[in-house]
Amino acid sequence: MTSDKDREEESMTNDSALVMSIGTGDKKNKKAQKAFEKLVERHKKTAYRVALGMVGNKDDAFDISQEAFLRVYKSANTFDKSQPFLPWFYTIIANLCRTWLRRRTTHDYRMVDVDDASYLLVSDDNPEEAMIKKQQAAGLREALMELSFADREIVVLQHFRNLSYDEIATMLDIPRGTVMSRLYYARKRLAKLMRQNDE
Amino acid sequence: MSENYRELLAGYVDGELTDAEKLEFERELSHSAELRTELEEFMKLKEVTNGMRYADIPDQIWESYWESLYKKTERGVGWIFFSVGAIIVACFGLYNIFYKLFTDPDAPLWLQIGLPLLSVGGVILLVSYARERLFARKRERYTEVER
Repeated sequence: MTSDKDREEESMTNDSALVMSIGTGDKKNKKAQKAFEKLVERHKKTAYRVALGMVGNKDDAFDISQEAFLRVYKSANTFDKSQPFLPWFYTIIANLCRTWLRRRTTHDYRMVDVDDASYLLVSDDNPEEAMIKKQQAAGLREALMELSFADREIVVLQHFRNLSYDEIATMLDIPRGTVMSRLYYARKRLAKLMRQNDE
Repeated sequence: MSENYRELLAGYVDGELTDAEKLEFERELSHSAELRTELEEFMKLKEVTNGMRYADIPDQIWESYWESLYKKTERGVGWIFFSVGAIIVACFGLYNIFYKLFTDPDAPLWLQIGLPLLSVGGVILLVSYARERLFARKRERYTEVER
């Protein structure tokens, strides 16, 4: 027989159940707060890294990730429990990134972000190799910021978050075949931009 | 090149194909120079990105992440209380002003006309702003999801 404690523990292991606990409870209520804290601890790094890939700036990615959690907190009662949490959460992050990029476009965000050389790091102990990789990283950063949002998101999710096609399909709510097709065209455009920037 | 092979090319680079799909792709690869060129280009791109990672932030910032977020949620609740309180106080103040204005026979006519106009204008602006914010929020959450 399942005890109340077991049921409570089970509800604390599932993301959707955590959001439901936030949404249905009084927000000052301890259970709702505990659920929110658990959800934040579980997904804070993913939120930050996805945002970083989209906006290319560490401070803004951090702020966007926190704003995304605040939106989850505020609109938890509108969450559809029959749907998985991650795609919903990803949509919130993506929309915040789009808004951020739109605002930055007026100030020529590329000038700021592409020069933020510290957001994309190379990992190589050999100094000569590291130098080459640093140059490649600079080219890649610039090319990534020139891609459309849709292209950048698929490249970031596959190349830098190392998500499987099934995970990307779930997150973006698209068929697996569309993931493959979008990746093909995004890579094609990215490679072209990198070649142009090299010349 | 057909759309099918484009999709298979992406999957081949990422090791996401089934054995049957891999076989089908490799068969086409042996015949198509265009496919081989693209494969080489994508493999090179994959190699470049594999050697890179996004910069993380220091552990102490991660440790204080929840605390700073919690403070923001508290501030949000604080703002709601503050706004509701401010509206109640403003309504009470306006009520008193209007009451005195229209019950006092010595109140100047320009004030009796000007103050209501000012108040009505203020309310219209407030409602218009609130409506715009509401629409913007709805649009942002639902219709701008471009997929």
